[in-house]
Amino acid sequence: MKMLQIFYQAHFNQFKLQVDCSIPSQGISVLFGESGSGKSSLLNLIAGLDGSDSGEQHKLHVEKARFSLNNTVYDDTTQEINLKPWQRKIAYVFQDNRLFPHMTVLQNIQFGYNRRNSTLDQQALIKQFKINDLLQHYPQQLSGGQKQRVSMVRALLSNPDLLIMDEPLAALDYNSRQQLLPYIESIHQQLTIPVLYVSHDIKEVLRLADYIVLMQNGKNIAQGELAELCVSQPLLTRAEGPSFILQGDVSALLVDEGLLQMQCEGHELLIAAPPAKSDDKQPVKIGDSLRVLLYAKDVSLCLSPADNSSILNVVPVRIEEIKQQASGKQLLLCALGQQRLLATISQRSCNTLQLEVGKQLYAQFKATAMIK
Amino acid sequence: MEWAPILITLKLAAITTLILLVLGTPLAWWLSQSQHRFKVIIESVVALPLVLPPTVLGFYLLIALSPQGFIGEFWSLFSDSTLTFSFSGLVIGSVIYSMPFVVQPLQASFETVGRPLQQAAWSLGASRLDTFRHIVLPLSSRGFLVAITLGFAHTVGEFGVVLMIGGNIPEVTQVLSIVIYDHVEVLEYQQAHAYAAGLLTFSFLVLLITYSLNKKFRVRL
Repeated sequence: MKMLQIFYQAHFNQFKLQVDCSIPSQGISVLFGESGSGKSSLLNLIAGLDGSDSGEQHKLHVEKARFSLNNTVYDDTTQEINLKPWQRKIAYVFQDNRLFPHMTVLQNIQFGYNRRNSTLDQQALIKQFKINDLLQHYPQQLSGGQKQRVSMVRALLSNPDLLIMDEPLAALDYNSRQQLLPYIESIHQQLTIPVLYVSHDIKEVLRLADYIVLMQNGKNIAQGELAELCVSQPLLTRAEGPSFILQGDVSALLVDEGLLQMQCEGHELLIAAPPAKSDDKQPVKIGDSLRVLLYAKDVSLCLSPADNSSILNVVPVRIEEIKQQASGKQLLLCALGQQRLLATISQRSCNTLQLEVGKQLYAQFKATAMIK
Repeated sequence: MEWAPILITLKLAAITTLILLVLGTPLAWWLSQSQHRFKVIIESVVALPLVLPPTVLGFYLLIALSPQGFIGEFWSLFSDSTLTFSFSGLVIGSVIYSMPFVVQPLQASFETVGRPLQQAAWSLGASRLDTFRHIVLPLSSRGFLVAITLGFAHTVGEFGVVLMIGGNIPEVTQVLSIVIYDHVEVLEYQQAHAYAAGLLTFSFLVLLITYSLNKKFRVRL
């Protein structure tokens, strides 16, 4: 896969930013980390916005930088190249939408379109984001969710080579967020450009991320596909402990029971269905591919499949690795076909069951899981 | 009633306001965006006429504008006339005297537009000038309205500076406020009334129109 290289080294007072990472040149890469981890600083450097909203006072001092996009060098300290933001084909969707208040929605979305000599199909995007009826409105007449939709259309119509989305849902309420997510997913399926998406919400990550770059204290500490990172980086779901992801296809909807059935590595798993939306449209349908996030603490292991249990899911697994946790518990990495599953169990159970690498046994877990 | 003082006053105010818009806009823009350490010095200099007695300002201007003064000497390179007791001198004095009334409202409105919207415009391919023209200017229309009104009205009402550097030459530098003063000095209250009432009505109308327009063209934020 073609990768986009990002290298920045900068500081401001005590804060040091040191990022050397690569993201796929297509799909959504999520920049994940706590606030203060340097996500926004990195985005501003990439976009050429110089580190801060409050003027030159907080400007990051860049020591080294190297960043190119589609054969154009954007930043290179050795060649003294540092393009101005308007010279970069990078569109930005801000958390606070930043629509121009004196322009109508139509004028807003044409601002970048005209300046970048874009030839994209305006009508198609207007339709896709359902803003046809809003074109003559002014931003202050729109709801938070509508504003953010307009802001996305405005960014996309400028025909960027890279789209930056800085927590575009953070300022919205729960319902608006749920309504907006499908739009972002739809961008994701059509765009052939990389999207750099900043978030610290694991639910958003689960739903949108193809690739993750983990940031901590101004550094990128890990990067990779979501499923891999969940296993190796408990940071993603710190409060709940280690987690993992199972992927599969929806094979049946058990609406009355509030469950859905998912085909995963040849096994039928039962998962709690996400609540149906008010318009009676099921959020998932048969055939959809699905990602579910499960916590290692919710998985238990047994030597034979239990028959009379309230636990719905029992699958055969093979132990691949046993890791001693700081808490005295054991974290077991188990293979389920091509996918991996984690279980945390006590030292005592580990001894009683005589668990060792290579052993075949059964993993069971309840239907509760976080769903894409 | 003579019309010359009225015409001179209006002409002075109009030219002064125009010059101040041309000079004051870039200055206010720089003040609103800069973090330069000399910024406070410039800000203080611009605000000086707000606190200085007009006679003090007028006195120094008289010295600077005289053929031996630094402005006057510079002027004599281009012109045979002197600046003191001339209409041109009056314009220079008024520009300095009314400067804060134009620069401060502009600076405040530029600051209100803020950096975030500019950044959004940049990221959509607009250069700094383009951003200023299409984002900052329209969103500062209210600031411009206030700046023009205050700059104009303040120039119309000036007295001390004019008296110091312009003297009282009929049909050249004699403005309304001075004519009124002259009439009062010789106890011609009737004539003073005519000008004074006219000025009062005019000022009130200008402010009335400005404030009502201001409501109509409220910046949408």
